[in-house]
Amino acid sequence: MKLPGTLEALIDALRVLPGVGPKSAARMAYHLMQRDRVGAQRLAACLTTALDKLHHCERCNNFSETPVCELCANPRRDARLLCVVEMPVDLNRMEETQAYKGLYFVLMGRLSPLDGIGPREIGLERLLQRAQDGVTQEVVLATNYTAEGEATAHYLSELLKARGLKVSRIARGIPAGGELEYVDAMTIAQAFTDRRAL
Amino acid sequence: MPERINGEIGLVLHSHPYKETSLLIEAFTRHHGRISLMARGARRPHSALKAKLLPFQPLAFDWFGKGPLYTLHAVEWQGDGRSLAGAALMCGFYLNELLMRLLPPGDPHEALYDQYRATLQELADGLEAEPVLRRFELALLTELGYAQTLTELAGSGQKVEPDARYGYALDLGVTAPSASGPVFAGKTLLDMAAGDYRDPRTLAESKLLMRQLLAHYLGDKPLATRQLLIDLQKI
Repeated sequence: MKLPGTLEALIDALRVLPGVGPKSAARMAYHLMQRDRVGAQRLAACLTTALDKLHHCERCNNFSETPVCELCANPRRDARLLCVVEMPVDLNRMEETQAYKGLYFVLMGRLSPLDGIGPREIGLERLLQRAQDGVTQEVVLATNYTAEGEATAHYLSELLKARGLKVSRIARGIPAGGELEYVDAMTIAQAFTDRRAL
Repeated sequence: MPERINGEIGLVLHSHPYKETSLLIEAFTRHHGRISLMARGARRPHSALKAKLLPFQPLAFDWFGKGPLYTLHAVEWQGDGRSLAGAALMCGFYLNELLMRLLPPGDPHEALYDQYRATLQELADGLEAEPVLRRFELALLTELGYAQTLTELAGSGQKVEPDARYGYALDLGVTAPSASGPVFAGKTLLDMAAGDYRDPRTLAESKLLMRQLLAHYLGDKPLATRQLLIDLQKI
């Protein structure tokens, strides 16, 4: 059966979302049109507003409505520390811990040559500029412990150290409350490799 | 006929998101060569599968189904904790890119698999990267039948002399030095055949020869890993 063109276009448009294939997209489209037209209105309005108002913060590259985001503008944050994360969700996780009081830089990705993501696709040069503001003393690399996240951390540390900055990397190993009996072998092996002197 | 394979040793070359919550794994296994595996639900939060499906880590795969896309059933880490770090990671991505671009799926290449494992080990052990990469490139091209013998002249079978100069033609192999193409020392060719890259001239000339050969078989699309390193150099 041939669908009306606008419905087909809507289904197709919904597929831009990560993890949404043709089936989910069709389900979402029918739901919005059939069961929740008010929700659909709101979604459309929010998308338009967000596209119009949300930009990248000049300092941390995270999404912000103002040129400098609230977190970067907060005078109580420790401006000597700069934590580098891959994605905004990673920043949110770090914030939830309340263990970190410094500032951030969000790369919006990681170096991944096999996916065609290089230094130009992530905000690498902007990070180097940001870190050389004269106030930053230590850069904490909190990219993921995947092969790509590790490679990103390596090249960032080389570039940052060459510019006279102190660089550190978040630790990895046995999770809090973890019992060796139930931790996977790769994690234990890495925790052993990265063991520290007491 | 559907098949079921258990405990096949191999490594992940790359993974892509697939459908809504799955991962499509490109793996290089010892007995089945390059294969595609679908890891169902591996992109769901807290998936135990995803954390194990890292590149450069020896794994034992269980899969089933009909090819060319098999369904991954389970995976078990087989490593010893030594892994690629720092600049060696980019060398590892380079190896994986070469394998994905050049190795046809479904054919077993046991000798090449063993060479790949050994190469990763050498990189993890911190050996100088260039000779390690040159040895792997030559092994890969030889295994695929893309590299001609380096110790004899094409056609005549005359032995390559260390002090003489030679050319290299893609389809023939070692030739008399040509006016147009690059010229290589006989010693370079003999060193490469022996896997000996201690001579700086061998290292420089072999890079040229390998690049020429790889460029031909890779076609127009440049290697992303090489491009990334060039871009990083510019910063």
